[in-house]
Order: sequence, then structure tokens, then C-alpha cells
Amino acid sequence: MEGIFTYAPAIALLPLAAFVVALCFGNAMPKKGAIAGIFATAGSLGLSLLMLAAVASGEVHHETYYQWAAGETAGHSAAQGIEFTFGILIDPLSALMLVIVSLIALLVHVFSLGYMNAEGETGLPRYYAELGLFTFSMLAFVYADNLLMAFMFFELVGLCSYLLIGFWFRTESAPSAAKKAFLVTRFGDYFFLVGVVAIGATFGTLAFAGDNSFVAQAEAALDGGETLFGFDARTWITITGLLVLGGVIGKSAQFPLQTWLPDAMEGPTTVSALIHAATMVAAGVYLVARMFGYYALSPTALGIIAFVGGFTALFAASMAVVKDDIKQVLAYSTISQYGYMMLGLGVGGYVAGVFHLMNHAFFKALLFLGAGAVIILMHHEQNMWKMGGLKEKAPVTYYTFLAGALALAGIIPFSGFWSKDEVLYDALILGLENQLYLAAYAMGLIAVFFTGFYTFRMVVLTFHGEPRSEAAEDPHDIGWSVKAPLIVLGLLSLTAGIANLAPVGKLLDMDIMFLEMWLDGHYGGLEELTYGAYSDTLAHETGAIAGSEQTTLLVGAALSLGLALSGAGLAWTLYSGSDPAQHTQRLGSVRELLRSNYYQDEFQVWLAEGLTLPVARTADRFDQSVIDGVVDGVSSVSLFGSGWIKRIQTGIVTNYAALIVGGFVGLLVVLGVYGGWFV
Amino acid sequence: MMIELLIGVALLGALVTFVAPNRIAGKLAFAISLVPAALSVYMFTAFDGSGNALLADGGVIAFESSTEWIRLGEYTISWFVGLDGISLPLVVLTTVLITLAIVSSWTPIDDRESQFYGLLLFIEANLIGVFTALDFFLWFIFWEAVLIPMYLLIGIWGGPRRKYAAIKFFVYTNVASLVMFGAFVTLVFSLDVTTFALPAITTAMLETGPQAEIFGLGGTSLASAVFLAMFLGFAVKVPIVPFHTWLPDAHVEAPTPASVLLAGVLLKMGTYALLRFNFTMFPEEVISAFAVPIAAIAAISVIYGALLALAQTDLKRVVAYSSVSSMGYVILGLVAFTQFGVGGATFQMVSHGLVSGLMFMAVGVIYNATHTRMLTDMSGLADKMPLAVGVLIAGSFAYMGLPLMSGFAAEYFIFFGSFGSEFLEYAPLITAVAMFGIVIVAGYLLFALQRAVFGPYLLETDYEIGRAPLHDIAPMFVLLAIIIALGVAPELIFDMITDAVDPILENGGEW
Repeated sequence: MEGIFTYAPAIALLPLAAFVVALCFGNAMPKKGAIAGIFATAGSLGLSLLMLAAVASGEVHHETYYQWAAGETAGHSAAQGIEFTFGILIDPLSALMLVIVSLIALLVHVFSLGYMNAEGETGLPRYYAELGLFTFSMLAFVYADNLLMAFMFFELVGLCSYLLIGFWFRTESAPSAAKKAFLVTRFGDYFFLVGVVAIGATFGTLAFAGDNSFVAQAEAALDGGETLFGFDARTWITITGLLVLGGVIGKSAQFPLQTWLPDAMEGPTTVSALIHAATMVAAGVYLVARMFGYYALSPTALGIIAFVGGFTALFAASMAVVKDDIKQVLAYSTISQYGYMMLGLGVGGYVAGVFHLMNHAFFKALLFLGAGAVIILMHHEQNMWKMGGLKEKAPVTYYTFLAGALALAGIIPFSGFWSKDEVLYDALILGLENQLYLAAYAMGLIAVFFTGFYTFRMVVLTFHGEPRSEAAEDPHDIGWSVKAPLIVLGLLSLTAGIANLAPVGKLLDMDIMFLEMWLDGHYGGLEELTYGAYSDTLAHETGAIAGSEQTTLLVGAALSLGLALSGAGLAWTLYSGSDPAQHTQRLGSVRELLRSNYYQDEFQVWLAEGLTLPVARTADRFDQSVIDGVVDGVSSVSLFGSGWIKRIQTGIVTNYAALIVGGFVGLLVVLGVYGGWFV
Repeated sequence: MMIELLIGVALLGALVTFVAPNRIAGKLAFAISLVPAALSVYMFTAFDGSGNALLADGGVIAFESSTEWIRLGEYTISWFVGLDGISLPLVVLTTVLITLAIVSSWTPIDDRESQFYGLLLFIEANLIGVFTALDFFLWFIFWEAVLIPMYLLIGIWGGPRRKYAAIKFFVYTNVASLVMFGAFVTLVFSLDVTTFALPAITTAMLETGPQAEIFGLGGTSLASAVFLAMFLGFAVKVPIVPFHTWLPDAHVEAPTPASVLLAGVLLKMGTYALLRFNFTMFPEEVISAFAVPIAAIAAISVIYGALLALAQTDLKRVVAYSSVSSMGYVILGLVAFTQFGVGGATFQMVSHGLVSGLMFMAVGVIYNATHTRMLTDMSGLADKMPLAVGVLIAGSFAYMGLPLMSGFAAEYFIFFGSFGSEFLEYAPLITAVAMFGIVIVAGYLLFALQRAVFGPYLLETDYEIGRAPLHDIAPMFVLLAIIIALGVAPELIFDMITDAVDPILENGGEW
């Protein structure tokens, strides 16, 4: 199997080729470049599956392909070489993620045939080119073997989001949303870049894996009790880890940088599916998993990750409750779900976090594509209050969407239940030993109730009851290019949980936790990048309810399932029926608070327009009047004040020109005579 | 003789173009400019130099040529030219940018063409001279001579306030040159040398330092005073806050090709001179005394320049002020005094030359079509001019330091070199502050894009805005290709640069 790794670069390069082809020849091609994209992503998926099989057979691929730049670190006194390279690391984590990304990308391409081509959009070559570039950037990010390469493609992912969110650039709102997405995530990336620079300058390497990885260097520094940049090693690792986390918080839309994501709904729904499930937003959490060994060295950083995640899960879920636009509900659910992943990783649940990342990719792609199908059905209406009764008219859409919704809400046996339960379980057992973490657990648990509620509010309003508009009475047709991806993802949402049935495995004492074994290197992997190695570094003490793992498992599962069901049930009671009432009025002032997203957008707009812009304008006025004023003042005193000089200030440029040229020639002649040119 | 050939062709070409009919001047100048461009690219491939041209420690100066020229008393002035890894990329940048600037002038320049293109070639000759001269007097002649054609380009073909802008540019940078000239000549007189050849002066300076007392100063105090005076002189040229106010005025009034050269090459004269003189000739102890203040000013230039750009409503002013910001990074890299810092600063000189040239060209093409540069007037241009707008977007992201474009490589090298610098106190803190520029630059460029090229098309004109002709677009694609090539493979020039930078860092100088 090892030979297959020769083709590893092609996984990312195929979509890059599709980008070039669609950009240059898209207009002349059938389907305006879609075909190129579909072939490329299908090729990537095929190769990714082969990589997965190779890793399963015990192989790992870690190779440097290209030296981008090399030089010496730090000052001249302690010169030490550093190489910035492009390399590929295919281990269990990245192989899994490659499959997820290329699969979702392929399905999104196929779905686009029905969503974009069939709807007569213009600018399709641009659309498919940007999708290709997006897929390329994300795949290259996923198998990057060092932090700088990861950062570079992380940024390119941001660029592609900007381009695709702003796809409908003729409107006012799409360019604005695109700008916001790029700016807010760039704010996070600023910290990330400082972190990259700091880690590189500290350890002289940015490699994720190997004896010389920055993680290994950091461990050595810890063991040696070194002082780094004036801090003790642990503190410096925490600081640099948190700097990198800035980028994660931006891209994965965690509090307080989540504001760009709901606005990003201005892009085509297919793009939302890609951004939310497999690329942009997933990149942040994936990065934490990728360098989990580094975070494992800093309990403080992990604790912050857990709390940011827990808080975001609850915070975003509460806002999703009052939204009217189907895509808005999904957007807030994405923020909330990534909060769960952060919570899972933060409490040391590496497997749980990655498991939820995988499941979420499937069910969120499903829900967004389902929402896209609904939008086609509804003749481009997105307000759920104008929908209703689509259940009978579009059964494929309904049942697949329902599968995604059940997974999102965390209802057994759908995939989301298993991974969310595992995240909460990991938080619970850590919290039982270290009570501080119980707070993070509690936030995650309460969010389960909200999740159940808003998910079923969405399902009921969209599909049940009576049609509430003309569009809902007479839905548009949808084709197979739309249905096929939905069915694939629907099946995955139902079954993906099998990958890691942790409660079942633990209760029945069966070895069926495949994902855990996969990430622990049972099939193959690098020793230092396994779940076991991370757990050893962390050395978390965990507790159990009544001293029994089984009881803890059951209590935890019952709690989260019960809350999810009661949330769903409440939504069902409130909104089913032929003509549901809005109910949100009853929330009173809380409703306004939630609908305005806790006024956080206002705050950020104020930061940009109320603070930075006036500061900039003041600086500009200062510059014009004071600094330039001094310059003009000095010149009028010294030059124009003199009567002699005034006479040659004729104001005619050619006169000056003659003077200057004459003077210059004169100078040359003098020098020439002096130098003996003319002798 | 290669360098003489380069300068000679440009000078001769300038004369020929000057007397050629207006009708063919543009095409003729283009054809002539291809010669230096091709020659310099050939020199790039045939480059066999090593080490730093000013530091004679086993290195080889490429294409070296030296003839004694003038004797002033006991002092010798020579025609002494040559290239090393720092100057060669800048020479190639100059020749390529001149050729592209000539092509980009075909549309907007319709008055006294032969003089215009003649001046462009004349400026090329002098710029090549600045980057190749290794004798102070020779260098200074070229340095001053660059001002003349630029003054005329702004003053004759400029916008409504061209006279004010041209005079301000000329007087301001000339006064600064005077300060620098005085300071340097003072230093030379205090040294044990009888030549104005820069390598000899550098050696004398680093090995023995000032031997005589001048104005009651000697040794370290004299060297420090000269360092400061020269820094101030070059600071105007770069420009560094607070000496930057001539720049936006000059840019706004200058015709597009002049802006391209002003931002693309002329600003680099200042940073190149800082590197060649202040950071090469002076021993570490002199530099280090000024390191923190200079780094602080660099960080201020970055942030303050970016804030000024944010406040502008004229697209060209936005780009003009952003140069202040970008040049701040160069200064930070220089004063970090590490391989990546100084190497990155040099890389940034080349990269910024390409990227700002691209941006000014794109703004120019849009201006040619819309006759406005005000962001408040423009809207939705993407539909009307897809290629030009596409280039503007690409250029904007290059400016923001998007990876796989040259701007990222440059900025990353600088940040990396400066963060870990042991030479510069508080290096991590100052670097982190300066790095925040990457957020503000995204802010003002994305805001400008949102206003100018996206949204519904609203501009009311009494003529149809059509797509720009190919010869307006092609130069921008050439630049974009180079920007991406350097971003993907920075080692194309970075190895060469670090080879010339290393001796500077190793040669600390002990008196």
C-alpha cells in the first residue's frame, strides 16, 4: 500500500487544476466548469480513501516536498538553522479528515448542478473556480505537516470564503458580509500569525510530527526547566498556544469572534454547506486536534478552550431559538456545535472532539443542502414562517432533512447523539474530579435542550402544518443532482455513529470503539500523535458518579437525551398545528436581546466604525494640519520668504525644469573638466 | 561592462525618444526599454557574485567595473559600479517596472509624449545608477539626478495641484539629501581614507572608526551623530513618519506611471540607502543605541500609516498611505538586524515595488475609464471591467499579505526575523504591535473594494464604460505572475539576498 502515497500531493492539486481549468475555460465548457470540479473532487475522494486504507494497513506518510525558505533563527550570536517547508503528513487524523473534506466537496459540486446551474445563475465559471480553490486550500491545510504551511492554507481558505460569500457581488449585503467574514477572521489570524512566529522563533521548527517537532522541543524545554523569552517554559507554551487559538476562535466562529458566520449566509447555500461542514469553520477545530500534543502541555490553555467551547455552545444555541430564516437557525447551530467540539477537546476528549467534527460534517452538510433544496422548493424564500406543509410534497427532502435534524438534536441512534454524548461524558468525568469543569459541562448540557428546541422548531415550521404561502403550496421541482447528495448524507447521519459507540462498548465490554482505536494508532499511526500519547501527557484525573463508570455513562446519556427530547417536544407542542403562533413575544425583552444577538454585532460595528474610524480620521486631520502644517510652514519661512528667491518662483514648471537641467549639466561639465574628460 | 551598457542604453534611449515624434514615442520607448530589461534578466541568471559588495571579506562583486575619474586634492572619485545579492533584485525590479510603466502610459498620456517617455528612460538610467554605484560621489549624482525627471513628470503631467506637489517633493527630499550629504562627507573626512569608494570607507569605518575630531566630536559620538543625520536624511525618502507628508501629495497629483515608479522604486532608494549606509557601515554599538527608537518609529509608521489610509476616500490616497505602512515593515526588519529581518526587509523592497506598482496601475486603469478616484462616487465596477477589477482584488490581497504571494513571504520573514531578534530590545513586543498592521490593511482595502467594485453599479457617465484595452491589462498580469512566483518560491531571490546580508551581520565592527 505504501506506493499509493506517491499520489498524495494530487489530492490537493486536482482541485487546484480544476480551479485553473474552470477559471480559464469554464465559459466554453458544458455545465460551466462543474464537470472539472466534479472529476477533480471525485479523484481527491478516491485518493483519500486509498490513503485511509493505507493508514489502516499500518502505513504513515510524512514527507517534505519543497523548501519554501530557509535561514537562521534569532540573532547572530546564537545562529541556528530553520527551514520553512511544504510537506505532507498523512496519519489517522488527517487521512480521516481528507476523506470528509473531499466527500463533502464532491457532494457540494454535484448539488450545485441543481442549485446553481439549473437556476440559471450567471458567473458560474467563477463559482466553480472558487469552489476548486477552496477545496484545494482546505485539503492542503489538512495534510500540512507544519504550522506555517497550515497557516498559509488557513489564510487561503479565508480568501476563498471571502470570494464565495461575496459571490452575488451586485447586492449590497453580500460584499459587506464577505468583508466582515474576512476581517473578523483576520483579526483572529493576527494572533495566530504572532503565535506561528513566536513558536518558530522559540523552538526553531514548526513541524507537527517527528523528533524535531515543536511539540517535542516544547516538552524538552519543560523537562529542562528552561526560560523562554523571559517566561518559564509552561507559561510561554500557554501564551503561544493561546495566540494560535486566536486563529481557531476566528475561523471556527467561537465567542467572541462568531459574528461573521451568520452574516456569511449571504453566500449561496451550497457554499454555506461547504464552509460550515468541511472547510472554513472546520479548519479551526481541526487545527486544535492537529497540534493537540502542544495544547496537552498546557492545562491552562486547554481549560480556556473548554470554557470558550462550552460557553459558545450555549450562547449560540440561545440565539438560534428566535431566528426566522432557516439558514440563520443553521448558522447559529453551527457555532454551537463547534462549541461542543472545543469543549470536547478542551476537557481532553480528543476522540470525542474529532468524532463530533466528523459527524457534524455529515449532518450539517446535509442540513444546509437540505435547506438549499427547501429554498429551491420555495422559489428562493428563506423565511420559515412562509413555509409549512412541505413534508408531503417533497418526501426525499423531508426525510433526509429529518435525519440531519435528529442527528443535530442528538437523538439516539443518530450520529450526533453518540458524539455529543461522548463530549459531554468526557466533560462530566473531568468535572467530577475537578469541579471547575462542571461549569463547562453544565453549559454544554443546557445547550442540548436549546438545540433540541430550535432544531424541531425549524423542522416543524418548514415541513409540517399547512402551507403558509403560495410558494409553499406550489413548490418548485427538484432534480436528482439535489436528491442524491441528500440521500448519501442522510444515510451517513444515521449510521456514522457506529464508528464509535462508546457507551455501548463500555457497558457491554466490547471492542467496538473503532474511531478511538483508529486515533490511538491501533491500525497505524505516529506514536507521538496518538490519543494514548496525548492522554499520557495530560494525565487527567477523572471521577465517576457513585464510583461506577457504568452509572456515570448511563446518567450522562440519560440526562442529555432527556434534555434533547424535552426540547424537541416543547417545540413540537408549540409549533405543530396548521397555523402556529410565533410565541417569541412571550419572551418579552429577552426576545429583543436574542434577536439582536446580545448586541454583539453592534459592539463590533462600533469598534470598527465608532472607534477605529474616528481615530483614523483624527489621525488624518492631525496629519494634514499639524505634521504637514509644520512642513509647509518651514518651507514658506525659509524659501518663499526670501525676496531673492521669489523672483525665480515664476510658477512655470518648465522654467524650473530648465533651471534644474541647466544646473545639472553645469555640475557635470565642471566635474568633467576637473576630471580631465575634455583634455 | 554590463552595467555601463544598461545605463548607456537607457540614457541613449532617453535622448532618442526625446527627439522622436510624439506619435511613435510610446512604442519606441517600450522597444528600447526591453533592452535593459532583457539585459538585467540575463545578469540575474548569470549572476556570479557572492557576499556583500561593501564588505570585502572574500566575497565577489558581480559585474564590477572601476575607473579612476576625478582627483579632488588627495581624494579620488571613481566610476565604480558593481552588484551583489541586495542590489541585483532591485535593478531587475527597476528595469521590469519601467517597461511595464511605459506600456501602462499608452492610454493616459496624450500630451508631449516624446518628452514623457524620454524622462521615463532617463529616470531608469539614474535608478540603475543608484543601485549599482559603489563610489559615494557617483552614487550621489545618480541619487540627485533621479529627482529631476520625477519632478518634471509630476509637475508637467500631474493633476490640478501638481505644482505644489512637485515642489514639495523636490524641496523636501533635496533638503534631506543635503543633510545626508553633509553628514557623510564629514564622516569621510574623519576617516583614514583617500577615496570615496564605498567598500574602502566601510572597511575603514568598521575597523578603525573616525580618527579625526570634527566639530569637537570624535570616535563613537561622531559616528552616532553621523548615523542619526543620515538616518534622518533617508527617512524622508523612505518615508518614515513624521517625514511622510510629501508622499500622498506627490502620488495623488502624479500621473499613473509616475506613481508606479515613485512607489515601486523611488521609495526603495531610501530603504536601500539605509541598508547600505546606516546598517552596513556602522558598528553594532552605534546602531544598537538607536535600535529601540527606530523600531518604535517603524511600528508607529506601520500603524499610523494604516490608520491614515483607513481615513481616505480617494482610492489613490489609500494606496499612497499604505506605502507608509509597508515601508515601516522594512525599517523594522532592518533594525532587527537578523538574517530574516534584514533579508526580509530587502525582500519586502522588491515585493512592495511589485505590489504597489500593480495597485497603482489598477487604480489608474479604473481612473482612465471612470475619471474619478473617489470611493464615494464609485460602485459596482466589477461588472463593467471584470479583468481590471480582478487584478485590483488580487493586488489588494497581495498587499494584505496573502500567502503564496510575495507580500506574505516578505512580511513573514520580517516578522520572524524581528520577533526573535536578540539585537533589538523588546523585540517581541514591538513586532507584535507592528504586526497588527495586517488587520488594518485588510480593513481599508476590503472597505475600498466593497465601495468601489462591488454592489450595484451606480456611476453616472455620459459615455459607456468599456473594458480596458489589452495593453492596459497585460502589464498588471505580468506583475501578478512575478508576485505569485516570488510568493511560491521566495528562494528565487531570497538566497541571493541572505548571501549578501550575512556579512553585514557577521561584521560587527570592534574599535
